[in-house]
Parts: sequence; structure tokens; C-alpha cells
Amino acid sequence: MLIIEDDVRVRRMVQLTLQREGYQVTEAATGAEGLARLAEHPADVVLLDLRLPDQDGLEVCRAIRRAGPTPVVIVTARADSDDVVAGLEAGADDYVTKPFVPRELTARIRAVGRRAQPDDGPTSLTAGDLEIAPLAGTVTRDGERIELTRTEFRLLTELAAGAGRVFSREELLDRVWGYGYFGDSRLVDVHVLRLRKKIERDPAHPAIVTTVRGMGYLVPG
Amino acid sequence: MSGPGRPAWRHTLRGRATLTITAVTVALSAVLAVGVWLAVSHYLLVGRERATLAQTVANAAQVGRALPAPGLSPEQLLAQLPRETGSTSLLARDDRWLTTSLRVGRDDLPAALREAVAGGTPARQRFALQGGTALAVGVPVEGGDAAYFEVFPLEELDRTYTVLAAVLAGAVLATVPVSLLVGSWATRPALRPLDRVSAAAAAVAAGDLSARIDPRGDPALEPIAASFNATVAALEERVRRDARFAADVSHELRTPLTTMLGALALVEGAADDLPEDGREALGMLREEVDRFSRLVADLLEISRADAGGGADALEDVRLAALVREALARRRRPVPLDLGEGAESAVVRADKRRLERVLGNLLDNADQHAGGVTCVRVEADPPRARVLVDDAGPGIPEEDRTRVFERFARGRGRERVPSGGSGLGLSLVTRHLRALGGEVQVTGSPDGGARFVVTLPLAEEQPCGS
Repeated sequence: MLIIEDDVRVRRMVQLTLQREGYQVTEAATGAEGLARLAEHPADVVLLDLRLPDQDGLEVCRAIRRAGPTPVVIVTARADSDDVVAGLEAGADDYVTKPFVPRELTARIRAVGRRAQPDDGPTSLTAGDLEIAPLAGTVTRDGERIELTRTEFRLLTELAAGAGRVFSREELLDRVWGYGYFGDSRLVDVHVLRLRKKIERDPAHPAIVTTVRGMGYLVPG
Repeated sequence: MSGPGRPAWRHTLRGRATLTITAVTVALSAVLAVGVWLAVSHYLLVGRERATLAQTVANAAQVGRALPAPGLSPEQLLAQLPRETGSTSLLARDDRWLTTSLRVGRDDLPAALREAVAGGTPARQRFALQGGTALAVGVPVEGGDAAYFEVFPLEELDRTYTVLAAVLAGAVLATVPVSLLVGSWATRPALRPLDRVSAAAAAVAAGDLSARIDPRGDPALEPIAASFNATVAALEERVRRDARFAADVSHELRTPLTTMLGALALVEGAADDLPEDGREALGMLREEVDRFSRLVADLLEISRADAGGGADALEDVRLAALVREALARRRRPVPLDLGEGAESAVVRADKRRLERVLGNLLDNADQHAGGVTCVRVEADPPRARVLVDDAGPGIPEEDRTRVFERFARGRGRERVPSGGSGLGLSLVTRHLRALGGEVQVTGSPDGGARFVVTLPLAEEQPCGS
């Protein structure tokens, strides 16, 4: 668990909170330091403040995403700002807004950190011409592996497991992110867009994850 | 010309200018008409009188010459005198009256005229004759005790007067529509720049601080446009600066608040180790930090609403489902009542805004009015309504708009920390305005307050259920 945040007290507080929950926390005050730490010790989850002294938090987020599928939770000042969408488009998995309460923070971190675990689900799924192996956490097309983040993978798995059924945004928020009705549906929309860019042959005309206007998303069965 | 919300046409600058032009034109033309009438009628009358006088004097002279001479009898003499058609000659001689007309005799002449002429003075007089006016001229006949009179009917002249008066009055009346049209046409280009000024001022008054006047090279408009634009720009900058300041303050408070919330949670985890008074202090600290954090959040939200902008994530929202979820998250159960068609009512809205609206209304009821007694959702196309009733004493009529102001609090009550930021209801109005809805407060049947949220229903119902 890595926290990139410039305010020393907030950093320490998050550390104390998460340590109590049993996480091992490393900290970084700047984006550069954070990326260096991540290169040394891979983290399960990165908590990233978008306002950093040395560089734009979005840049850091993209750099983390380029380096691998590590889940990123961004910290923003405002849920209604464009920061949230920008952060999600830059590859973040979820966000928390300041001031966040420790309970909320640990819930978010736990949600993005967990792997796709279909309890007694099938060991292999298909979606279009994709092969999904839920246990291995891999998606392949014609034997070639497609790299997805954990959240993207969980999203695809949920949709493929219920192929032929329309999932509402609220349902996906609950199943993938562990939110209730009041989760931010932009999380779903931005992740679906990101997912399509990776798995669709033509992302402008999606065939694997389709939109049902006014209702939600669907993997045709 | 006067649409809804616009002043009546006659109150607009252009209307007033046109009406003034019309009034002045009509007054001038009336004065002119009266003048023309007086001059023309005088001229006609004088001309007529002169002509009749000349004729009478000439005829009297002829009578004076012919009377003493032998030959023609006085009757024949009168009959052959040259006369205008319609006029009558009368000759008075030794109290014997001769007349050329059966209709006009001695008694028709005014007595004053007869006496004057009998006394040797020529005279003329207008008098009423058989329902019309007539002019009588009397001249003493030279060298005899006779008097010669002629009576001229003035019907012709009266008719001329009538026609003239009618024509003049018609002309005055005709100037009304003509000058209205001309005034309206002439003031349009002259006042068009003012239309732009008033449109811009109205836009600013309605809250659009980006409105400016474009003088379009009009030298008359440029100075006023420049000062107006400068004023609005300053106002806009000031509003923006205030909003930015509030946002910055709120922003800066967030980081320490995060630390406080984290630290508090940690201490609360160890609350059992604290003495009794320490636990009570901790509880107070928790309440105040929560309130503080709500205030900071609301402050940022309100500054954003003031600064305008901010992208809304509009989506189709099932109102009943959203209300049910919001109620399910409350600590105390609240009965939900659905009107006909309310279950399937869909509004197009930003869900987070709607959530805040409901949350703030429910919080308000909890903090100030002893909690919510009932929430009702109604569909009344093209609108949907959410009614929130509380258990409080109700809000007096005169306070019903004031409650939506920032930091408004109940009157004359002790200031008990309520946990509210004082911005909640103000935010409700702002959020709803952004969603095209509104909120009002009335009374509930049980005597509490009833907040009524009205939202436009989505135009297109989503397919399926």
C-alpha cells in the first residue's frame, strides 16, 4: 500500500489508520518519490492525491498505469469537479474526496484491492471472441493476452458472467466497486469506455460490451 | 407587442416617445384646424356680407331713382331688380310692405332692424328664418319715406361651414393613426441602441454577468456601453473572486479536516480507555467536527453554485427509487407514500444533486423540526413532486421565503448547535434551480412544515421497466 500525498499529517494519519487495518503502508510526498517507491516495492493499492507539489497528479496516475495494473484511488477536493473524470480517464480505479473519513477510505481500498473472485462461478467465461479466466485473472483473444486493470477485469467478468442480461449502473457499482445506489455512475461509464478501448476491435462501435440506452450495459449472450 | 414579463408597450421608452409625438402632432393639427376654420369662415362671411351690401345699396339706389318716375308700379319695379337666387326684396313705403316672396314678409324681419332703417340708418342683421339663418340688409331709399330691404338666405354658407368643419375634424382625427405609425417608425432606429442596453441590463439583473452591450460603432451608444460593460465586468470579477475565495477557504480547510477526522476516529477507537468526562468531550468534539466538515462541504458547493458552471452528469433517474434509497440510509425509518404513477416517474437529473436535495431536506427536518413524519412522491405530468413533512411546529407564512436564505435560523429561539451548516436549504434551492425544478414550503396537514420539491419529468420514458 503506497500513499502519495504532500501533507505530512494527512499522510501520517492515513498510515496510522491503515496500519490498524493491517496494511503495510509506504509513503511519498511527491509524485517523483512515489513513482520511485513503486518501482522498488510493488504496492497492492496506490492512494494518490491529485494536488502534488512537483507534478500534476494526473501525470503520476498515467505513469503508474503505464507501469502496470496496480489499482489507484485518487484523492480529490471535489466529487463534482472535472478532476474525477480526468483522474478516471487517466486510469484511476476509484476516488475519495477530502475530507474523507477513515472508514470510507478503507472501504474503497479494500474494494479496488480485491481480485475477481466468482465464489462458485465458472472457471472460464467468454465474451464475444474473448476468453476470460476468472481465477487466473487473464483475458485472451486468439491466445493473445489483453492487459486489463483489476477493476476493468472485474467489470468484464461481471458482465460476461451474466451474458445476455442488462446490468444497470447501480448494479455494477454495487458488484464491482461495492457502492450502493448513490455511487457515482461516472465510475461505470469511464471504466466501460476504458475497457472498450482495450477489448473492442472498433471501440466506436462496440460489439462485446454494448450500451442499452436508459438502462445500462450488456454483454450479448 | 407586449409579451409576458415585458412592460406594456405604452410604458416602454419607444411607446412613450411615439405617444408623445402623436399627442403633439394631434394638438398642433387641432390648433391649425381651428385657425383655418376661423379664418376661412370669417373670410367667407365678410365676402358674403360685402356682396350683399353692395347689391342692396345698388338696388336701393335704383328704387330711389325709379320710384318717383312714372311708368312702373312699385311691384313691377321690385320684381325686375337684379337679385341673387333665393334672396327676397322688400320695400316699405308708408307702412305698406311689398315683397317679392310669399315666404318672407314684414313680420319676418327683426323689429330692431326695421326700426333702425325706418330711422334713416342703413343696417344689417343675421337672424333665424324658417329654421335656417338669413342675412337681412336694410337701406333707406333716398328722397322718400321708403326703406328697401333684402333678405339673403345663408343656408349655402352654413353648409360650407359644416363641410369645412367636418373636413378639418376628419383631418385632425386622421393625424392620430398616421402620427402613431410615423412615430413608431421614426423612433425604432433612434431607440434601437437602447433596446440593446435594456436587454443587457435585464440579462445582468437575471444573473447573467457575462452579458455585455455591443455598441456596433454607434457613437451615441459607445460611452454608455463602455461604462455599463466596465461596471458589469467589475461585478462579474468581484462575484468570481468572492466565489473563488470561498472555494479556496473551503479547499484549504479540507486537508486539516481530513487529519482531524482520521485522528478522531483513532481516538474513538480507544474511547473505552478514557474517563467519563473525556468520553463526553470526545463526543462533543465528534459532533463539532462533523458539523464543521458539513459546513466546509456546503461552502464549497455554494461557491461553485455561485460561480456557475460545473458539468452536470444528467441521467434518467427513477425518483421513487432514489427517494427510497435515501430514506433507507436514514437512521430512523420514514414512511414513504407513493402517488399514482409515482413508482415509474423518471426525471432527467444529476443524481448527486438530487441526493443532496433530499439529504439536506431530511437533515433539516431532523435538526430543526423533530424529524420527518412522511415523504410522498407524486407524478403530475409534466412534473413530479416530492413532499417532505416534518414533525415541527410549522413555519409561519412570513418566514417561508426566508428559510431558504443562507444561515437563516428560526426566530427568537435559543441557539442550540443543531449540527446543520445553515447552508442546507439554500443549497436545496440552488441545486433545484440547476435541475430546472423548485422548492416551496407550505404546511403539512399535521401542522408541521411541508417542503414541496417540484421537478420536470423526463420527456422520454426509458423503454422497458
